[in-house]
Amino acid sequence: MTAKNVFKTAGLMKEMMKKYNEAGRKAKDDGILVAWVTAVFPVELIYAAGLFPYYPENFGAVAAARKVAHELSTAAEEKGYARDLCGYARIGIGDAYSEEHPVGKILEPDLLFCCNTQCGSLPKWFEVAGRYYQSPYFLLDSPRVGLETDQLCIEYFIEQLHEMIEFIEKQTGQPFDYDRLKEVLSLSNEACLLWNEVLDSAALKPAPFGFFDACFHMAPIVTLRGTQDAVDYYRALKEEIDERIKNGITAIPEERHKIYFDHIPCWPKLRWFSDLFASRGALVVASQYTHSWAYSFDLERPLASLAENYTHEFVNRCFEYRVRRKISFMEKYDVDGFVLFSNRSCKPNAFGLYAKSKLIREQTGLPGVVFEADMADLRLFSEDQVLAKLEPFFEQLNQI
Amino acid sequence: MIGFLLTDVPEELIHAAGFFPYGIVGGSRNLEEANAHLQAWACSYSRSALARSLEGELEFLDGLIIPQTCDTMRMLLDLWEHVRPLPYMDNFRLPRQVNRPSAGRYLLGELERIKKGLESFKGAALDNEKITESIKLYNHNRQLLRRIADLHAGYPNQLSSRQLYTLINGSMIMPRNKVNRLLQAVVEELEQNLSHQENSGLVRLLMSGTLLEPFEVLDYIEEFGGTVVADDFQNGYRYIEADVDTDKEPLEALAERQLRRIPSAAFDLVINPRRFFLTELARKKEAVGALFLHLTFCEPENFDCYDNLKTMQEQGFPAMRIETQFGGAGLGQIRTRIHAFMEMVGGVSQ
Repeated sequence: MTAKNVFKTAGLMKEMMKKYNEAGRKAKDDGILVAWVTAVFPVELIYAAGLFPYYPENFGAVAAARKVAHELSTAAEEKGYARDLCGYARIGIGDAYSEEHPVGKILEPDLLFCCNTQCGSLPKWFEVAGRYYQSPYFLLDSPRVGLETDQLCIEYFIEQLHEMIEFIEKQTGQPFDYDRLKEVLSLSNEACLLWNEVLDSAALKPAPFGFFDACFHMAPIVTLRGTQDAVDYYRALKEEIDERIKNGITAIPEERHKIYFDHIPCWPKLRWFSDLFASRGALVVASQYTHSWAYSFDLERPLASLAENYTHEFVNRCFEYRVRRKISFMEKYDVDGFVLFSNRSCKPNAFGLYAKSKLIREQTGLPGVVFEADMADLRLFSEDQVLAKLEPFFEQLNQI
Repeated sequence: MIGFLLTDVPEELIHAAGFFPYGIVGGSRNLEEANAHLQAWACSYSRSALARSLEGELEFLDGLIIPQTCDTMRMLLDLWEHVRPLPYMDNFRLPRQVNRPSAGRYLLGELERIKKGLESFKGAALDNEKITESIKLYNHNRQLLRRIADLHAGYPNQLSSRQLYTLINGSMIMPRNKVNRLLQAVVEELEQNLSHQENSGLVRLLMSGTLLEPFEVLDYIEEFGGTVVADDFQNGYRYIEADVDTDKEPLEALAERQLRRIPSAAFDLVINPRRFFLTELARKKEAVGALFLHLTFCEPENFDCYDNLKTMQEQGFPAMRIETQFGGAGLGQIRTRIHAFMEMVGGVSQ
């Protein structure tokens, strides 16, 4: 996304996120409990219960994007939290201990909810935070799922959803409102559908929208999924994209190649990556990451449907499933190559990546590369090392 | 033979199904081949286990079970299967939360799934009687090892720390019947000599961590006048502390044992009961200090480390953390640090 190519909708998002953050800050005054949640979490239950969901991972991403991860992290490291822990966690723990708050203070939780579909770092971080803030914690446990639908995991998750609702009722003193849950799920469905239509536009040649745009526009689907605001936002974004298609406005000036990218972007270097790829005529069009929020809930069986969606998210699936899914994205978006990010902060996405890369190259014949860096911490990022991996890849693309 | 990574796996089920459960304990010294598949920032246990397989050291295995105790273990099985497939491979998908009713019901289902997998690999049904027999055999093994651990704690000059942990780890790689006979002989010999014992004069320590490695650490502690009287290692006390109830339906009993195992970083709850467990254990075993031995890049330990060290120190136990790794830890540096720690807790009067 070049400067002159900024989406009008971006202004709307800034406004919405400002409103959301303000609501968070005054939640306590309004008698609303602040609930920490994780990105891949059935937040629909939190919205339905009238709690304010807060995403510490977003806080991490914002601090990372503003290039202050290491400052906050140092405060955690001084306490003895090792530098090899997840960058978001170090940012969150560091902010708790730090005197300085370069991106504002992380919102203190009244309750903490975590789902470990994504990883084992989040529960450990939330446990630490639960002790620090002395707030009750609830873990939704999601054992890893293989290639097939896993009924054992789904049933386990449903049972835990019942336990969680009981936990929420105890904390709020209010009976859980299942009718409200249906409304929230329906809004979630609508937002996910629109979001995925937006993402799909990257398949057009040339495309009006790419992965780096998606990284910018994803905040509402993560944070406000289940609200009317998210639906309104993605409807507006979709309209703007349709308009761009009509007017021939493209994501990058000269799209010669389409690229698949995994997984999380390198936040402090988002612009650097985006400019680098654009300068080589390469548009990154898809990633499992931005496609994570593609839920489809059955309103007639809300809890079962929540369990199916959240336990079977790609990040909780086996090697083979993930390879197949990556390849299916590569086919759908008709890419010319792939770039895989071995992210120091994210073991579940990084481990096995070299084997996956080899397998995908063999199965698709596409050029591909793995590079090492961190999604948040610039101390674990070297431009030279990344370029040393990417330059030969760009060369290969030019030979196609 | 079915290998397993340490140590939260239902060995009793593997044994009852007619296989030899083999604990993959020691590590390879050469991690280079593994580094080509698994990033150098994966813990050295995962890389060294994979390296042993890549080097052909584990050719005798027909299968492998990896317990899901952390993200690295969660990702390792598939990678292993990709680079060095075995006829039988499975994850033991442990529940991460252990205190709600759902955990028990799920774990029972997971054990049933493992049982079915083993039956289908063996081509024979597995009846409850057989499982109970194996449970009794393993209970007996744990009882013998606990007795030896108690004798060591009471009379550390009679059996060194290294000898104790060698017996525990040896049990994981030898036929259990045979091990039990040998351990019985060890118990008898130790018990005969009790009357000759005097106060050892050794400084009593607690150790904590995921895996005890390298064993040289134990030598250094003794060299500087100490002995290890308590621990919570996967390849230490955690492996032997709890028996399986033989009066219950066997799978239920196995699930119940797993859930009431001593706290670990992999299954802690928000209150981190492990820190209180450790201070209590130190008190009970009359330890005067605590040495935390953590594998570099061990995420669960790294998250809890601050809290555990702080609690231990607040409760009056000097505590120190040392990072180690499989495949050649910096032994000289570790020895120097242990020397310094032993000075602090009143050891080193050579």
